[in-house]
Amino acid sequence: MRAIVEGLLTVLKHLFIKPVTLEYPEKKRFQSEAFRGKLVVKGCIGCGICKKVCPSGAIEYSKDEEGKVVSYTFDLKKCMFCGNCMYYCPHHAIKMTGDFELATENKQDLKLVYKGGADD
Amino acid sequence: MTTARTLKLNLGPQHPSTHGVLRLILELEGEKILSCEPDIGYLHRGMEKMAEGLTYIQNLPTVDRIDYLSGCFYSELFCRTVEKALGITISEKSKIIRVTLLELNRIASHLLWIGAFLMDLGALSPFFYAMREREMILRFFEKLTGQRMMYNYFVFGGVRKDIDYIEDIAEIVRVLPEKIEDYEKIITDNPIFIQRTRGKGILKPETAFNNSITGANLRASGVNYDLRTTDELYKGFEFSPVVLDGKDSWTRYKARIMEIKESIKIIEQGLDKLKTCGKLEQKLINPLNIKLPEGEYYSEIEAPRGLASIFIKSTGEDKPYRLKWRTGSYYSINLLRELLIGEYLNDAIAIAGSLDIILPEADK
Repeated sequence: MRAIVEGLLTVLKHLFIKPVTLEYPEKKRFQSEAFRGKLVVKGCIGCGICKKVCPSGAIEYSKDEEGKVVSYTFDLKKCMFCGNCMYYCPHHAIKMTGDFELATENKQDLKLVYKGGADD
Repeated sequence: MTTARTLKLNLGPQHPSTHGVLRLILELEGEKILSCEPDIGYLHRGMEKMAEGLTYIQNLPTVDRIDYLSGCFYSELFCRTVEKALGITISEKSKIIRVTLLELNRIASHLLWIGAFLMDLGALSPFFYAMREREMILRFFEKLTGQRMMYNYFVFGGVRKDIDYIEDIAEIVRVLPEKIEDYEKIITDNPIFIQRTRGKGILKPETAFNNSITGANLRASGVNYDLRTTDELYKGFEFSPVVLDGKDSWTRYKARIMEIKESIKIIEQGLDKLKTCGKLEQKLINPLNIKLPEGEYYSEIEAPRGLASIFIKSTGEDKPYRLKWRTGSYYSINLLRELLIGEYLNDAIAIAGSLDIILPEADK
């Protein structure tokens, strides 16, 4: 009996503390700067290392006749947000943002196409 | 064999308290269980076969997903095996960082188990409390690694970057003991809890040996078997394995609670060491050119759900020829065949819950 009362008192203690839950879409939860969400590419030189370290085959690139990389495609549908491409990019061209709300009606929105080479 | 007197009952796969998708085919006489046939594979993702098609660096983020509640352990296991094969030694600070994070991960995993187990028994409040404390740990992990559960933080030769947010760990270590005390006040001596767990699901050491049971389940049966005591990584850390001799569900609960306290001790030691360590120095290897020498490699570690081990066979290529995981839950599920016989149906969930079964880890 003593144990039940003691347990109840411990539970009741929680009536007097602030709630820890949030009403999600209205209030955003804590998010760290290092969060691995949607990719952003800037300053890519087309070396192709990201493709080699990507486990899910989310990165494709197309070359012209001379073998120069013309464009990169990051397919967020396949991406598992492990961050390998970001960690191993020698030019730190890939950044991962805090954007994680990727639901969309158009599949094409999840395909990020970037021009390769030094022109980006 | 069902007869006119017995009833065949499917427990799961979509019962809300079966933790993922476990199906138990029970044969009942009245409410008494005559036989139990676990059916797994609903969460099978082909991790082992997939690993054969990926290079070692591509495999690294996927191993976190073997068990999403204790990803660090499988990361550590994979890194350790590759390091062993390539003859790399990791720096002292990387070791301390790894131990600290592993133990934090173990606490997070045990906390979720406490919540889920109590929810199986119909107690809702502890689940929320446990999730609240776990959130502190996950938040620290998110700050450090960028994600809450799939860290991809351990790399071949060390860790991804130097540890930061040490004050967060200090805060966790400071707050957690009193919260654990709160759980104990609510749960440990509660007569309803005791009635549902004391003397239920008795696991004799012989049964445990025959079923390859390891981890807290085995230690709650009075067998002193903790891989951490002999692990190279834990050298210099002082702790005592939790060995209790109750053999029932209640003891398994108690063992995990005590294990959290032991883990806190290890983290405290890790924090002290980190403060005097200086900057992280490590030599990472080129990720694009990792080829394991021909041969077979094996490592093991004490994961939250028992012994976890990995076997890699390499033919000298940049991809593993065969990669095999051994995970604790797989054996715990198989144990239900013996443990549930003679028990009542309403105890089945409580007993299954007390074994800390995580389905993705068993199905791989």
